[in-house]
Amino acid sequence: MSDAPDTGPVLSADNPNLIEIGVGELAVAQHPKFLMTPALGSCVGVALYDAALKQGGLAHVMLPTPLETRSVGNEWRFASCAIPEMVRLLAERGSPRRRLQAKIAGGSAMFRGDTVLSGVGERNIAETKNQLRLLNIPLLAEDTGERHARTVELHLDTGLFVVRSYLYGIKNL
Amino acid sequence: MRLEDLSELQLDALREVGNIGAGHAATALSQMMGNPVGLRYPELDLIPFGQVPHVLGGPERLVGAVYSRLLGDIEGGILFMAQRDSSLALCDLMHNRPLGTTKSFGHGEEALITHVASIISSAYIAAIARMADLNVLPSSPSFVLDMSGAILQVATSEVGMRAESALLVRTSFYDEDTSVDAALLFLPDPDSLEVILGRLGVM
Repeated sequence: MSDAPDTGPVLSADNPNLIEIGVGELAVAQHPKFLMTPALGSCVGVALYDAALKQGGLAHVMLPTPLETRSVGNEWRFASCAIPEMVRLLAERGSPRRRLQAKIAGGSAMFRGDTVLSGVGERNIAETKNQLRLLNIPLLAEDTGERHARTVELHLDTGLFVVRSYLYGIKNL
Repeated sequence: MRLEDLSELQLDALREVGNIGAGHAATALSQMMGNPVGLRYPELDLIPFGQVPHVLGGPERLVGAVYSRLLGDIEGGILFMAQRDSSLALCDLMHNRPLGTTKSFGHGEEALITHVASIISSAYIAAIARMADLNVLPSSPSFVLDMSGAILQVATSEVGMRAESALLVRTSFYDEDTSVDAALLFLPDPDSLEVILGRLGVM
């Protein structure tokens, strides 16, 4: 992966403003922070952004709903829990739902031979879009499906959503 | 039973099974390639899923991986992973030519890695199946070259719902003068692990 000059500040692990979100986690933050989550496979990275306050949230969701599993555990790995929670956290920080805009990436089918595994990404995308529709949040852009992994960054100054992959390099959404 | 509850004795039993599998895999690889290739399973570690990408150089590191689902009496999956450079070196080792000859991934390299990984995974699960007297078959393998974190997350998205750790078998391939490192991840469903250990007599 190469860094194109037009993606704004280059993020590195030692940047104090960088907030890295792990699998099944979510975070909300305000400019000058950046939100980043690495290596999305069938997972979906869901970014919500409020341009007025330059703040937003990013979630790394693993599965569509808690119905998918028999075990209890971290509920933020489910799209149906993480997205409403992000909306709630942003509302608490002064961003009403009507000002939020969404961008999403991920949900790929990495192992084409395995039909069960390759269906997870598709269902994650479907549930993510379903949640956004229920909450009436417009989906501005997406880079979803296909067969490759993605790393995403949400730049909170502009709402730029940067998607990096080995296959396509850098896409700015 | 969860992997993180395993005792030292139980890990030893799985190690022993792994060594038997390695022996069979080395024989098979040498036959296939017509030149002697050795295989060591030097270490067996139990590690949380979150740590696995760090073993391979970070979640965004480019790795070649081959996944097979486990079918039959036990459920789960088995995942072979090697960093991109190690995968290319493995191609050279298998073809018995100088390291650095293979420079990029094409269909041939992809097929060779898939084949090698499939032999190792099959030998490993065949050893388990025989020792535990279980019927276990691997599904047809699928290859992917991409970020290690994403591959691991996809492979564990099913077992990961109920298990928190994976059994990591560090593997190295060698001939007279080179050795190439790879990792084999055995990802049994917790119920299946209990069945295996029960049959091995170490419950």
